[in-house]
Amino acid sequence: MSEPVLAAHDLGWTIGEARILDGVSLAAQPGELIGIIGPNGAGKTTLLRLLAGLLLPTSGRVLLRGRSVHEMDHRERARWISFMSQDTSQVYPFTVMEILLMGRYPHLGRFQNETAEDRERARRMLSYVGLPALGERTFSALSGGERQLVLFARTLVQETDVLLLDEPSSSLDIHHEDRIFSMAQELAREGRAVMASVHNLTVAAQYCSRLVLLEKGRVARDGRPAKVLESALLDRVYATRTVVSPSLATGSPTVVVVPRGSDGGGVRVHLVGGAGSAVNLTRELYRLGCSLSGGIAHERDSDERLWKSLGIPCRSMGAFSRITDDEVQAASSLVEEAELTVLCCFPVGAGNLGNLKLALRARRLAVLTPGPEDVPRSFFSDEARALFDRVREKGRLVSADSIVRELEGRRGARRG
Amino acid sequence: MLHHGCTVARQRALVFGILSAALAAAAVVSVAVGAVPVSPRALLQLAALKLGIAGLGTPDARDLTILLQLRLPRAVAAVLVGSSLAVCGAVMQGLFRNPMASPEILGLSAGGSLGAVAAITAGVSAASALALPAFTITGALVSALCIYLLSSSRGTTSLLYIVIAGMAISSLFNGLTSALLLFSREYQVSQFIFWTMGGLDGRGWPHILASAPILVPGIVVLSLFSRELNLFTVGEEQARSLGMDVETTKRLLLGISAVLTGVAIAVSGPIGFVGLMVPHLVRFLVGPDHRVLLPASALGGALFLVLCDLVGRILIPPLEIRVGIITAILGSPYLLLLIVRIQRRTPVGAR
Repeated sequence: MSEPVLAAHDLGWTIGEARILDGVSLAAQPGELIGIIGPNGAGKTTLLRLLAGLLLPTSGRVLLRGRSVHEMDHRERARWISFMSQDTSQVYPFTVMEILLMGRYPHLGRFQNETAEDRERARRMLSYVGLPALGERTFSALSGGERQLVLFARTLVQETDVLLLDEPSSSLDIHHEDRIFSMAQELAREGRAVMASVHNLTVAAQYCSRLVLLEKGRVARDGRPAKVLESALLDRVYATRTVVSPSLATGSPTVVVVPRGSDGGGVRVHLVGGAGSAVNLTRELYRLGCSLSGGIAHERDSDERLWKSLGIPCRSMGAFSRITDDEVQAASSLVEEAELTVLCCFPVGAGNLGNLKLALRARRLAVLTPGPEDVPRSFFSDEARALFDRVREKGRLVSADSIVRELEGRRGARRG
Repeated sequence: MLHHGCTVARQRALVFGILSAALAAAAVVSVAVGAVPVSPRALLQLAALKLGIAGLGTPDARDLTILLQLRLPRAVAAVLVGSSLAVCGAVMQGLFRNPMASPEILGLSAGGSLGAVAAITAGVSAASALALPAFTITGALVSALCIYLLSSSRGTTSLLYIVIAGMAISSLFNGLTSALLLFSREYQVSQFIFWTMGGLDGRGWPHILASAPILVPGIVVLSLFSRELNLFTVGEEQARSLGMDVETTKRLLLGISAVLTGVAIAVSGPIGFVGLMVPHLVRFLVGPDHRVLLPASALGGALFLVLCDLVGRILIPPLEIRVGIITAILGSPYLLLLIVRIQRRTPVGAR
């Protein structure tokens, strides 16, 4: 591993009694795009300010290629490190070009004016961020997103090896968010070290080569996105329920918050599904806060993937294999515990015949009528049809909607 | 884009040309007009005499005295005071990224006045021409220190915060001034009250000689910090990240502004609204870049004060309306207009 360009050692920052940062150590190599993530108030902005040399740490130090950032001359430091602030306000009618050229300040002596080369560089960077026609417009009259892009361009005009970006995409639409992070990636590939505080974890995971998760001023984890974005860790740090799953389109982890009712825990429901037939009902009942279990599903089936990602206890077996009586026996405890077992609407063949047998063990059984989006229930053998008739006798036929309504009613009654 | 840059440069050159020509014209009129009119011929004769051109004859001795001992130093004082206050205003508006800042609004003038009343009641102002400036400078510096401490105690400040802080400082110093006056003799009180109206009458070469060596280099030094002032307008955090030593620069610029304000006040008494209004009007014409704004404000402030002084002298002759009264009458509505615009969040001085 090469020598880090910027390194923080045991960094702490206290204001009054409040410890905003405590013992933070991290190092940025050239070529890295590091995302600083964490809940509001975790110390992301403070960390960036300390790294940029804008705040004096109460303890620890920041080293730029081995030299203390806080002992460097201001101009020299600004030739190495640029910082993009969240503050884009401006009271006076400076043009975009004038704002960009302020980025040349650390490179110019008191009696030097900006050269034609400096202007050319500013124009080039403005084109690079996609706003080539805005040079002579008044900066304060631009939209919030355009102002952010101009400030990003200014950090490039500043020409530094280290770029520190404080929530660079907070007022950008998804198109421009992609632009700014793609550019940050490109800058990192060219050998710079880029660090950005990011709120959107999915975005952070998609673009950053490394994430640093802050929790109450300390580093909770530092590493590759897949290593940092673990549901259990995020649940603790953000105090919410998250689901992390790889994005279908990009393959990088996506993080979503799954709202979950906390007061519906009492109703124990088992879902007998397969082939994705339980997905919608699982989501609805999970939202209601039911205590769920599922199975028997085949591995990689979308039902099984959802149950796993939500942490719902379930039985599953190898894809396309036949459900044996032993499997049914093993799964029966989940069913027997459940106050209600729901048989979802799926085609029954030789492989999943066991699921009908499992349904027969239910304490109370609901057999779903096919909804508009369901595959009609079909049977590949007479044995299956006969078994289903027995299941029908035991259970009652209901729609998914009425189950949801019923459980919602029970939750409401309990709350009232 | 290049074309646009050219037109901006041409427009600025035009503004400078017009301001300089207007200042020259206003100065000539100001010197010629007064309770005793001086003929243009006498002016020409004087100019020829000073430039060493023979053949126009010598001006009348009475005219010569009026021109050289009364009107000319008065016009020069107006130029010095006007440009100093306007440049200080522009500096403070940049420093605090606040279009309502000025030496008067932030309490520097009140501090200077306290210094003046101290000098007058102690009797030292009569003893030496340099005593009054020394006291006004000290007063303005104390105010500047207060404003500096107040502005540094908070990270980001709202536009009104610093203005209200300035009001508080002004009230404090005005209160102290009144308290001092209680212990003064009657003639000192009337001397001070007359002084607080701000005026240029009776300003002679000694005043110029005592103030110009501070005011002129002061304006030049402040202009050298134009790029830093531009950086201040994007906020102190960004200014720091762009490589500026914010605290040192702020202290230095505030200190120099306080010294200039103190010296200007010692010459003319407190003259309000020049520092607030002139940088604004000039910003409309040349844009917000301090490299252009500061010299243009210097010209504009000089022109403004020469004109105000002229108006005060010709409005109801032989009575003179003191220049501070004229600027206050013009300035107060302007401040109100400004507050209304800021409330509407229109960018101030937008071209």
